Amino acid sequence: MLNKYDCLKKLAARRSDGDVVVTTMSVAMPWAELSNTALDYASVDSAMGHAADFAYGIALAQPERRVICLNGDGSTLMCLGSLVTFTQSTAPNYTLVITENGTYEVTGNQPVPGAGTVDFGGMARAAGLKTVYTIDDPADFEAKLDLHFESEGPAVFVWRLERGEEPVPRPERPICERSHALRAALVG
Amino acid sequence: MKASDIVDALKANGVTHVVGLPDNGSRALFELLWADSNIDVIGVTREGEAFAVASGMYLGGYKPVVIIQNTGFLETGDAFRGTAYNMGLPLVMLMGYRGIKTMQSGTARVDTAATFFEPTLKAWDIPYSVLDDDNQTRGQIDEAFALANERSLPAAVLLATETE
Repeated sequence: MLNKYDCLKKLAARRSDGDVVVTTMSVAMPWAELSNTALDYASVDSAMGHAADFAYGIALAQPERRVICLNGDGSTLMCLGSLVTFTQSTAPNYTLVITENGTYEVTGNQPVPGAGTVDFGGMARAAGLKTVYTIDDPADFEAKLDLHFESEGPAVFVWRLERGEEPVPRPERPICERSHALRAALVG
Repeated sequence: MKASDIVDALKANGVTHVVGLPDNGSRALFELLWADSNIDVIGVTREGEAFAVASGMYLGGYKPVVIIQNTGFLETGDAFRGTAYNMGLPLVMLMGYRGIKTMQSGTARVDTAATFFEPTLKAWDIPYSVLDDDNQTRGQIDEAFALANERSLPAAVLLATETE
């Protein structure tokens, strides 16, 4: 199993200045402690399940940038059809990370349906996505770190994580303000 | 309703992409859009996705519109609220008005897709106009864009008849 905080630190250290990182739920606040620029967007106070398709829209509009979405397993289950949508229009710059911990962490670690039995990587492949990796070993994570930034997207990385104890994320600024700041950073 | 008039109005307003899901009423419109090299169509598997994808595209610099049916709109609740609305985006939606004729008096079965539609739009703070006259297509679509920009919030045009 992977440790969420170790993975996020390594991802943040490898990330380039122009990359966009969209986070949600139990990853949002830990990521904000590592990086909190206008290109770091917490999809919080938004619509659960829609961070990944929202980030895909950014990737389509910003083909010169790598766009990485750090999504949850419960969030992914809420909008599984998006995995198919991602195959319809080319987004070679899009990376979706599914952080699989088996629970709704921020509401008290209630189990997500299918926890431990759902094969997210298998579902992504079955949806038609070509680049899919499931990682549950720290050494394998190190070996595949660069691929998060270099793979032809849409690429899916399933991180099998240890259980965490993150509280409900509470960004400092309202979503409207954060959204317009992101647009300003992307298009001026 | 002439699909070509709608496409012309979208182009005149600088639309780059359509995000949505076709229905019987918008079939001709989507066929025209798929054949048009100036506006790209992003198909989604469920209407809620359309608002999330379009919101991301807007923040990235594109100018998308969402085209869905009212049934799909009723499904989108939290996706609409949590993305385009909460983000404060001037997103224009064209939505098929399924069942509008069933609201006329004497109809045997009223389609709740129609009866729930306008009350929901009002509850969700979405200004709208009902488009049922080809002569008004350009004006009503222009007005929706103007209203969306003025409020920095979504606005809608409801398509009362099938496109052809």
